[in-house]
Amino acid sequence: MTDPVSGIALGLVIAGLALSTFVTRTSFLIAGSRLRLGHRVEVALRYAPVCTLAAIIVPDVLLHPPGTEIDLSLFNPRLIGALAAGLWLCWSRNIVGCLASGITAFTLARLYL
Amino acid sequence: MVKGGLTVTWAMLMSLLVYAGSAQLAALPLIVAGAPLWVIVATGLITNLRFVIYSAALRPHFADRSLARRAALGYFMTDFTFALFMRSAQDGSLPQRHPDSWFAGVCSTNWITWQLSAFAGIIGASYVPTDWGLEFTGTLALVALVGPSLNARPAVVGAVLASLVALLAHPLPFRLGLFCGAIAGIVGATLTDAWQKPAPPSALERT
Repeated sequence: MTDPVSGIALGLVIAGLALSTFVTRTSFLIAGSRLRLGHRVEVALRYAPVCTLAAIIVPDVLLHPPGTEIDLSLFNPRLIGALAAGLWLCWSRNIVGCLASGITAFTLARLYL
Repeated sequence: MVKGGLTVTWAMLMSLLVYAGSAQLAALPLIVAGAPLWVIVATGLITNLRFVIYSAALRPHFADRSLARRAALGYFMTDFTFALFMRSAQDGSLPQRHPDSWFAGVCSTNWITWQLSAFAGIIGASYVPTDWGLEFTGTLALVALVGPSLNARPAVVGAVLASLVALLAHPLPFRLGLFCGAIAGIVGATLTDAWQKPAPPSALERT
């Protein structure tokens, strides 16, 4: 990949994302009864976030070094961190604890494995 | 966000204008990797799609208000304030005559709290060395965000499909693997949902 987005490009990214927030949140409130939502579409919209986020998380965690090859071994610190965070989340719904355990496991694995 | 390669000013501007935690977190790894503009914006858009359903559910409550007021109420809504509004509408604790003022109050309080916390995080993070790998916290936050939604079979099927396809398709350019994964997941989840319960009542009718 190329350099991180910056400057004008970053401004455009922020403007585009802000627009996406505005358009989705105000869609039906602005368009009123001119819009109709079919049942299938509604179901698809409901599951869109979960699927998109999974498609971001899993490659980010399993490709090690980032963006290269799938590394399912325990020498992958991101996998260790994500497993710790996931297990914590199953055990309790506490988000702070989930982040803390994930970061701790990731850091320990990165430093000592 | 600052650890994702954004300066403090840009990160604050993003929080103020975009004001969508999950879309911002989803966009962050893409910004860092230098993904093309349209890919980042499209990813944010898909993550925000759930708000289309929320706005449809809110519409009947604010139908008689002005266009500007409806637009403002929609833009400042979040997962949390929407859920709170719908619950209050159901248990009858919502003021009959001015539900929009009630919602505006909840949303502005939520906005101020969110922005203050975000600014504290943005400034705080600029004191942490980069080699601590703190940008991984963004991915972990997504894990915390997705975890509780995996409570129904269609969501689990969708997430697994999306992950597998995104993983296998990751060598594709422009992060197209992400889109292939997301679309495969959405199709899988929708089919599972249809197979599970043939004709369920609409979520809009229920809320």
